[in-house]
Amino acid sequence: VKRILSIDWLRPRDVYPFAILGLAALGMVVLPRLTSGSVTLINVYDVAQIFADYGLIALAIGLAMMAGEYDLSTAGAYALGAVVAVKLGGHSPLLGLAAALGVGLVAGFVQGGIVSRLNMSAVPVTLGGYLVLFGLNQEFAHSKTVNFENYTIGLTLDEPILQIFSLRSLICLSVFAVVFLALRFTRLGAEIRAVGGDRRASRTAGVPVRRVLIGVLIVSGLSSTAAGALKAFSLASANPDVGLTPLIFATIAALLGGVSLTGGRGSVLGILAGVLSYATLQETLAIIGVEEWQSQLTTASLLLLVAALTAPHLKRELTALRTRLRVRLAAAPVVAGKE
Amino acid sequence: MSESGSVLTERDAWPRLGIPRMSLSGATIVGIFALIVIIGSVTTTGFATVENLKAILQSSAFVGIIAVGMTVIMLSGNVFSMSLGTTAAVTAITFLWALEFGIAAAIVLTILFGLGICAVQGWIVGWLGANPIIVTIAAGVLQAGVTQKVSGGTTIYPPPDASYSWLANRVGGIPFPFIVFVALTIVVDAVLRGTSFGRAIYAVGENKRAARAAAISIAAVAAGAFAVAGACTGIAGALIGATNGNASLFIESTYTFDAIAAVLVGGTAVTGGRGSAGRTLFGAIVIATISSLLLLRGYSTGIQIFVKGLIVVAVVVLVQLGSRGRDR
Repeated sequence: VKRILSIDWLRPRDVYPFAILGLAALGMVVLPRLTSGSVTLINVYDVAQIFADYGLIALAIGLAMMAGEYDLSTAGAYALGAVVAVKLGGHSPLLGLAAALGVGLVAGFVQGGIVSRLNMSAVPVTLGGYLVLFGLNQEFAHSKTVNFENYTIGLTLDEPILQIFSLRSLICLSVFAVVFLALRFTRLGAEIRAVGGDRRASRTAGVPVRRVLIGVLIVSGLSSTAAGALKAFSLASANPDVGLTPLIFATIAALLGGVSLTGGRGSVLGILAGVLSYATLQETLAIIGVEEWQSQLTTASLLLLVAALTAPHLKRELTALRTRLRVRLAAAPVVAGKE
Repeated sequence: MSESGSVLTERDAWPRLGIPRMSLSGATIVGIFALIVIIGSVTTTGFATVENLKAILQSSAFVGIIAVGMTVIMLSGNVFSMSLGTTAAVTAITFLWALEFGIAAAIVLTILFGLGICAVQGWIVGWLGANPIIVTIAAGVLQAGVTQKVSGGTTIYPPPDASYSWLANRVGGIPFPFIVFVALTIVVDAVLRGTSFGRAIYAVGENKRAARAAAISIAAVAAGAFAVAGACTGIAGALIGATNGNASLFIESTYTFDAIAAVLVGGTAVTGGRGSAGRTLFGAIVIATISSLLLLRGYSTGIQIFVKGLIVVAVVVLVQLGSRGRDR
């Protein structure tokens, strides 16, 4: 099992996503008691549902981050996937889902093609991509929430299975499993991390950098539109303007899951742990019954915290700070002696 | 192409003079834009009129002022801020609230507030090397949360006796916000090219390691660049508040992405070190002009955003193609 999961339980950076998940779970059990709330299996089901809402987009963001890129268009793809699936899935939801995936495929292929062919950062390209997808989305939905007549599909997708799962969360879980196995048992995982670590060096070493970048952005597009489509089926409506909420969730989840923003580090299991951690935290806040601004403050602080803790110069600056303090302490008696 | 040849020699003859250096990709972009304007004027009624020109200038002003600030962030090698739109909303609210202390105090307070909010973010980014996109997203959520608590999520109105409407008026037919936009562009470009702070921004944006080796404080430069962006956004916030006569968090909606788009369309490099506020002035006007053309031809907001996205991708690709020769 250890070999398959490829987690070294003695290496801190492999373990900390799961330690955070443990902490989050503990928090969900303990914190509500302080406000005389209680935790039941329904809350575990809720966590799994939040995972179903944002898991796939976190996978998209996480994979791109592992390859040293950041895909801003995911927020647009998520919303467009929802609108397309609802608009075209009236008679057959599967057709709607397929259409949404088609949009994700095209978006990923075009952006990936530009990024890999011109050997440039994905950030400006996917920013343009976000605007393109967002614009299409507004046009397609006439800037209004689109309702879905087919309520039954949503009910089927969200019906509890074994009390804590639903068809939707199981679908997401199986996508995670497939991607995990693909990255674990082919060279893909190593190649993505290599490209994220050093694009130029991996090209020299014979890694097919272009194919990896296109592939990652295609998977990112597919995964984001699928997430949006499934969410829309569940709600029986599609909101064309979700803002940056999915992107923010996915980024926090990926960072909590040990994916490095500078690329080259991270794993699918870590992303899974990160999504579950953040979902657990959100559910805990919901049980306690915090107000919207309080939950915004929590989100912001968490994001700032992980951004600071994973920042590349943190160690160097802390060492510098400590040295400066030590020098000052050592110098202090001399000054006192002079006086 | 003989034209591009003469442009290339001109670049060497005019170093550091605030004159936009025109590369081949730059010439292509200007050429395509000129073509669109000419075709638009001929085929679209009401496009090439003085009234529409004023409307274009008006609509480019707010986004443009924020974009000038965004340019400085991008030049310093810190990609861009994902929350200047939120800061614009927050400063617009601040401005209307602060009007009770008088207009001068309100303007100063608003600018300082925007400056402070952004300087802290820049310092975190520069000091720790933290990712600017993540830090600014977090800062945006933080500002929204705090503002929601403080304002109770309501729309803020100015004191009834406050006189601020001149901020939204026209001077000699030109909208005052646009005059501010142009003035700010000139000032920021002068600071960027004429002061050691400005040159440090270019140096850090071009190569962080080399700048560090040259004893430039990365943290101070990043904080400074974000502070300029915050001050610009504060100015935009005050003008937005004065123009609308009310303010809430809802007005932030599109300013962030529109400002980034304006900077990118101007051709400032997202990797830092190359570009100017003058380019952003051009970028903001291009976007406003094309949006106006689409609007007059009856296209929806969705299509306008869609086209904006296409322009961003196209320009980014052209700029990258143009810079490849120089890098190698």
